[in-house]
Amino acid sequence: MGQKLAVVITTPPYSNLTATALDYVESALNAGIEIVGVFFYQDGVLQANSNISIASDEFQAIGQWQQLHRQYQLPLHLCITAAEKRGLRDDLSPGNIHEVFTVSGLGELVELTHQADRVVQL
Amino acid sequence: MTMKNPKSVAIINSRAPFSSPAGKDALDLALIFGSYEQDVALFFQGDGVYQLIPDQEPALIGQKDYLKTFAAFEFYDIEQVFVCARSLRERQLTTQFHIENVSLLEPQQFAQALARFQAIFRF
Repeated sequence: MGQKLAVVITTPPYSNLTATALDYVESALNAGIEIVGVFFYQDGVLQANSNISIASDEFQAIGQWQQLHRQYQLPLHLCITAAEKRGLRDDLSPGNIHEVFTVSGLGELVELTHQADRVVQL
Repeated sequence: MTMKNPKSVAIINSRAPFSSPAGKDALDLALIFGSYEQDVALFFQGDGVYQLIPDQEPALIGQKDYLKTFAAFEFYDIEQVFVCARSLRERQLTTQFHIENVSLLEPQQFAQALARFQAIFRF
């Protein structure tokens, strides 16, 4: 059976569901499953907002995405249309999209779905 | 745009059309998969069936009428549209829809139809 996975994230960074998503992604990577990419859609794009500040004793989603990106070179794709709707901009200086995220469009999700053996939406 | 070995993709609509952006987000995804010539099907279930009801006037609440884009499904080669018959009955809705060629399925057939797809998205 194929082992390539694509993951779609639709939950905001302050949601417990994002903690579940991060656990899922990390477990897959630890198990040697290849993740062709993580795609952020709907409120999931808020994960990329570099201005988000969450109290230090609360769950830090951005820090974990960064760590996974650096440790596993995990591609993190952002739907720019969904992002711009929510105030994330890459056309201003300084922008507010965290550097570990790649600005993409829905076409990228088609590519990821095509490459993957399995797609999981969280 | 063509890709070798297109994937079969099911998109489930489970939310009412104008109380959240879910339906519009699902539509955008369906049209993209369609334009890349992937094998796309749309499934309507739960409150998602309200997206198929004719004569809605979203302009009255300042909303864009994304439902009218459903008429372009054929242009995007989206030929499979399934609706859950039980969801319609539970809401006392008729089988009159604003698009044609909608297949009415009972829950078990609905689930079987869904199981044929390689990737499933839900909105």
